[in-house]
Amino acid sequence: MKRMPLAIAAALAAALALTSCSGGAAPTPSDGSGVDSPDALNIGNFLDVTSWDPSLADIGFDGPYLSAVYDALIALDKDGNPIPSLATAWTVADDDLSIDLDIRTDAVFSDGTPVDADAVVKSLEYLKAGARSGEAYLNVSSFEKVDDDTISITLTQRDDTILYLMGLGRSYVMSPASIDADSLGKEPIGSGPYVLDSATSVAGAEYHFTKVADHWDAKTYPFAELSIFPITDATARHNAMLSGQINVQYGDVANLEQADQQGWNVAQRVSGWAGLVITDHTGAKSEPLGKLEVRQALNYAFDGAAVLAAVGSGAGVATNQVFPDGGTINDPSLNETYAYNIDKAKELLAEAGYPDGFEISMPMSPIFEMWKPSAEQALNELGITVTWDNMQMPDYQLNAPNYPMFISFLAMDGNDVATVSRQLTSVQWFNPEPDYAKNEVIAPLVEKVQSARGDEQTAAIQELNQALVDQAWWSVWYQANNIYYTAAGIQLQPVVGMMFPTLRYITQG
Amino acid sequence: MLLFTAKRVLSGILLLVAVSIGTFFLAHLAISDPTAALLGTTASPAQQAALAEKIGLDRPLLVQFWDWLSHAALLDFGVSWRNFQPVADQLAIKVPVTLSVVTFATLITAVIGVAFGMITGLRPGTWFDRIIKGISVVLFALPGFWVSLVLVMWLAVQLKWFPAVGYVPPTQSVDGWLRSITLPAISLALGGIVAVSEQLRNAVIAQSRQDWVRTLRSRGLSPTRVNLHILRNASPAALTVIALMFVGLLSGAIVVEQIFSLPGLGQLTNQSSQNGDIPMLLGITVISIVFVVLINLLLDLVLGWINPKVRVA
Repeated sequence: MKRMPLAIAAALAAALALTSCSGGAAPTPSDGSGVDSPDALNIGNFLDVTSWDPSLADIGFDGPYLSAVYDALIALDKDGNPIPSLATAWTVADDDLSIDLDIRTDAVFSDGTPVDADAVVKSLEYLKAGARSGEAYLNVSSFEKVDDDTISITLTQRDDTILYLMGLGRSYVMSPASIDADSLGKEPIGSGPYVLDSATSVAGAEYHFTKVADHWDAKTYPFAELSIFPITDATARHNAMLSGQINVQYGDVANLEQADQQGWNVAQRVSGWAGLVITDHTGAKSEPLGKLEVRQALNYAFDGAAVLAAVGSGAGVATNQVFPDGGTINDPSLNETYAYNIDKAKELLAEAGYPDGFEISMPMSPIFEMWKPSAEQALNELGITVTWDNMQMPDYQLNAPNYPMFISFLAMDGNDVATVSRQLTSVQWFNPEPDYAKNEVIAPLVEKVQSARGDEQTAAIQELNQALVDQAWWSVWYQANNIYYTAAGIQLQPVVGMMFPTLRYITQG
Repeated sequence: MLLFTAKRVLSGILLLVAVSIGTFFLAHLAISDPTAALLGTTASPAQQAALAEKIGLDRPLLVQFWDWLSHAALLDFGVSWRNFQPVADQLAIKVPVTLSVVTFATLITAVIGVAFGMITGLRPGTWFDRIIKGISVVLFALPGFWVSLVLVMWLAVQLKWFPAVGYVPPTQSVDGWLRSITLPAISLALGGIVAVSEQLRNAVIAQSRQDWVRTLRSRGLSPTRVNLHILRNASPAALTVIALMFVGLLSGAIVVEQIFSLPGLGQLTNQSSQNGDIPMLLGITVISIVFVVLINLLLDLVLGWINPKVRVA
């Protein structure tokens, strides 16, 4: 999970249980187009913008902020597939080592300078050097201008995730002058559909934007006015919606009934998975975890549906897969593979040579306390004695991966290849030493995924997903939903991978 | 009075230095690797090392402390490690938000608390006194956050007299500013009103029974003038409560800022703690202590003015 702090991710799951209040609100007047839709889009986001500088920005909740000010080179469709934006088309070379992008020539930065190939190359180089944005360009050796409307990206090795990551929020194009002036953090200058109005905005409380009159993609952004309110507290966000201050909010499942009474639209989709991350599949750190039967026992021992109901207020899907529910790879029939069965779990543990369980140390942080009783109960029933090492949240993210397994809530990706990469094969904070290559079942399937293309690759990922479940690579309890409420006349399309979707997914109607 | 003031200022400066030193070293002790929190989980070790060098974390802690202290003495608190904007600039945005709410809450507390305290203290045992006491018990028992939510639901959501969330600077709209801070201020003030009125009531009752009051009355002084004398003599206790309340509200405002989504010091403190932004945390600490020292100094001066005997202490 690279796109938002772990603390936030876990807090989201906790937020699903918050309570609500009552009241009434009405949408603002119609746009006169025959559809009773507001002209003003007032978003209640969960977090403040991380940074207006795209190289320092996060992806999780920064989507609406950054997509207002900046155009991306590449966007994503609702299923996580790259689609044109400033780049109208692209061609991946036969050897997979370069990508040519056609750049549109009718876009203009808000400082009046044109968006051209030089500006795009400068932006990409800036993003590659960025501590946060650089994650998308790890395999890039250079960006070059080919001609006035074409650039070329040269790769050091095949990279099936680069276009997805660019679309996810890593290809915002910035004014070269503002990059040189190092002023993006304070006065963002892009070619986006809106311009930040610094004079009326209050940092940390509300951001107001003015619409760009002749934006090249104006039809995708129909709202005449835009404001974004970072409101961390779920009740405050809900009250703001009830009072009419906002008309789109990052919601709380506890308010579903009231949303219905208010006539709000409800959109929800899975966003992350909760469970046990196992960092040691070889037994190097904890000998028992190196045995398949032990990992399978850990899967049988948890009643995912019960944990989802108790901790996640039922907003999600009980599953043992990390590929998003409803996607191409996720196979609902696999969800029964480890149907809760404590007797079977004990049997497997005995088969593995641990009839009385074993001892293990696990980290614990206040943010994960809500899952601790479920984990303790399940592990105790297996005779597994846990020594909990308590630590604060910043230390959890640093230290948890050093343990053989730990409780976590990890954000998911909508793109299947990216899911393979981020959850399994690439170095992440939660997976500092990917050990898939040492598993004789998983390793060849990963190789197959990495060498295949198109439908063949999809089939390979499906096969890999089946194997990951069989190998009990994680103990996944459930996938949790993100919920959004919108006032009548506004529709929002959730996108897996974006904790809050970019503006193109919030429409009138 | 000058010596008295100088002593108070000096003790305030010593407090400021002591707490700043403690905060600096405790923050560095608690936040083991700020670069990880600042850059996120995607940053490479090289990028973390580069940031550490950029913000001076690669130097010995004592050198870092001296650098910070020598600049802070000149009111330069450095730049935020989060966004590299000057700490002072961000404090200049956040402090007025918290101060607006806390000052307004204190004003409400003082006006209503003193009025209730005087009325009930001058006529103890009357029906008004009993009603106020009853209300006080109820207000004192109610959790502040619950009262805040009720106010929001009633006055913001249903009646729409006030915004449910957000803050409008007075430079944009005075009316909008007042509306945005009224509900948070009332939420903060309720508990304080009870405390101030109760303290003042008891002090007024005690003063009213003094011989000097009987003397003033026997000399034919108007009731209003007598009451003013009573108020002056009874006020130290209430003033102390108000001053303590102001100081307490500076930290207590964190909850209210969350409920009303106000971009004040509470929000900044939370963010800075999560991000490991030590210069910002130090800036917040310094500004908070300055307020505490100033309020206490002001209280001492007022009490000294009311009662000269205090100056000797």
